[in-house]
Amino acid sequence: MTDSRTMAYVNLYAVLGTLENLCALDTKAKEILYELKKPVSICFDVKGGPTATIKFTCKGCRMEDGKQPHDILIPFSSCEKFNGMIDGTVTPIPVKGFTKIGFLLKTFVALTDRLTELLRPSEENLKDPAFFELSTVLTFYTIAVALAQIGNQDAVGRASASYMLDGDIAFLIKDGPAATLRVKDHRLLAIKKAPEKPRAIMQFDSLQLANDLFNGKVNAMECIGLGTVEIRGMLSMVDNMNRILDRVALYLA
Amino acid sequence: MSKFPEYKHDKSHEYFNRAIKVIPSGIYGHLGPGEGLWVPVSKWPFFSEKAQGTYFWDVDGNKYIDFMCAYGPNVLGYNDPDVDAAALKQLKLGNCTTSPSKVMVECAENLVDTIASADWAFFAKNGSDTTTLAVMAARAHTHKKKMFFLKGYYHGDFQWAQKVDYPGILPEDVANNVVVPWFNLQALEDAYNACDGDVAGLIAQPYDHGNFKDNEVASKEYWQAVRKFCDEKGMVLIFDDVRTGFRLDLQGSDHYYGIKADLICFCKALANGYNMSALCGGEHMKSTVSGITYTGSYWMSAVPFAASIACINKMKKLNTPKMFREMGTKLTDGFKAAAAEHGFDLVVSGEPALFYLRIANDDSLMLHQEWVAECVSRGLFLASHHNHFMNAAVTDDDIKKAIEIAEDAFGVVEKRHPELKG
Repeated sequence: MTDSRTMAYVNLYAVLGTLENLCALDTKAKEILYELKKPVSICFDVKGGPTATIKFTCKGCRMEDGKQPHDILIPFSSCEKFNGMIDGTVTPIPVKGFTKIGFLLKTFVALTDRLTELLRPSEENLKDPAFFELSTVLTFYTIAVALAQIGNQDAVGRASASYMLDGDIAFLIKDGPAATLRVKDHRLLAIKKAPEKPRAIMQFDSLQLANDLFNGKVNAMECIGLGTVEIRGMLSMVDNMNRILDRVALYLA
Repeated sequence: MSKFPEYKHDKSHEYFNRAIKVIPSGIYGHLGPGEGLWVPVSKWPFFSEKAQGTYFWDVDGNKYIDFMCAYGPNVLGYNDPDVDAAALKQLKLGNCTTSPSKVMVECAENLVDTIASADWAFFAKNGSDTTTLAVMAARAHTHKKKMFFLKGYYHGDFQWAQKVDYPGILPEDVANNVVVPWFNLQALEDAYNACDGDVAGLIAQPYDHGNFKDNEVASKEYWQAVRKFCDEKGMVLIFDDVRTGFRLDLQGSDHYYGIKADLICFCKALANGYNMSALCGGEHMKSTVSGITYTGSYWMSAVPFAASIACINKMKKLNTPKMFREMGTKLTDGFKAAAAEHGFDLVVSGEPALFYLRIANDDSLMLHQEWVAECVSRGLFLASHHNHFMNAAVTDDDIKKAIEIAEDAFGVVEKRHPELKG
């Protein structure tokens, strides 16, 4: 069971938020942005849900929480409408920034199409090692942010967060990407880099294993026994994070 | 230089690699690497070959002084000759039979004679069977819906006892569970009022022996106040003595705290490893339990009943709670002194018979996990974040050796962390 409000938070911060990493890591995304003459900012404002602003430059993009200075404003009357845009069933209608409509229709759509290609990869594409690596890394960042959103918004996720102690959890792929899940008063914040002083650690020993876990091909408990998932520190935090991780699959399905 | 060489676990890993192909997660539950919290897994044995007294040997031939005691059942020592003789004698007479053996009656009478609050005994196999029956009985007796739990509770793994975020659990499964904090009578009163009094009972462990935290023992005053509260509200008080039973007080942990629970659940130490559990209760609960439909294929098997009688009688003869308190204190005093010698602050909490350990030098527990792993890989079997268990086969020499291994392991961790010296 998922709820549309949590889904909107996941879609905005976790899915669209991964545009940051796409633009930093993917050659094709960089080529798309390269043609951008001036910075453009888009604000997604979801009634009863999240609001965030993404600022694009020719060098990349950055998401900020809330309604920041923007060129294009796209309001959504409900979380369901916003989720519809992500699913491709609702066409977004900006109320501000008609002169930038070309960016929206061309550049933004090209970037989100590329993101979709990588986050929902075909079996054929995954045979290419470079594509596989990039797809897994981007999925990792999406999941890390989704963990925080689900822990803060979803009723069952909040139950898991309610058992978590304060501190930083290192969420890592060995020799790969790293993230911090910061817990403070049972609220979660995802940071896309490793913590300096983790209170708990969950590390996957390879990109392949992480990919298999993300796709439900293997279970973390099995991997702990095999030593391919390393857990250390305040394991109650990892245990509860792992329970939220179970729900991430529901929201990103 | 470590005095105790590190063990290797090649055969354990071979078996685990076979297990993972045919058993979900290889070893599920608290005996396995996931829920057992083995950090890192390379330091732990997966499978045992044999056991005797307070020791077990893994499949690689490594010998362990075992202070987990199979997570409780080993209370007299593995392969206790008196218990095994009683069990084998009964096995030759019959075990799982169409008409239950008369030894079932003798076992129930023995429990009623032993447990202060017991006027009857109902038998099953696991702790969860009895906690589940106890909760059903509380609802059947009061015709009320909600159950109170104390924070950090563990009453087995049946759906009602899990938490809403566990895989396979529906919100409806746990919708009538109300969690209140330990040692807070006002919170009990507030929760009761919030439920408009629709509360069947309170199920609780005798003291707060949760994981990942120092254990907090209760007081007689606390339990007497809770008993009074339950009486006033018409709530059934259930003691989950599955873990603590027979280690604090042979008459039941409710007796230890100077009260009588309405229902009390036993398992682990009940038959020294033979598989049985029992729900006991006062006369006023007997007809309610008589009316509940509840049984299982092996619940009236005779061998465990014979083992239980022998086990309880031997525990009485040895006065095991006194023995465990003294041995647990001696052992943990030794651990603390060894820790201090190497600059570690080892916090010992809970009852000495079920001591809980935590190195407090860091708040992540990583140092603690390192130390426990070094102990295990040198032959002292401890758990990282679970209370431990004493058994009657432990000798002074075993305690001395356990402290030596613990000190050796502290030395290994100290050497690895020069930064701790500041």
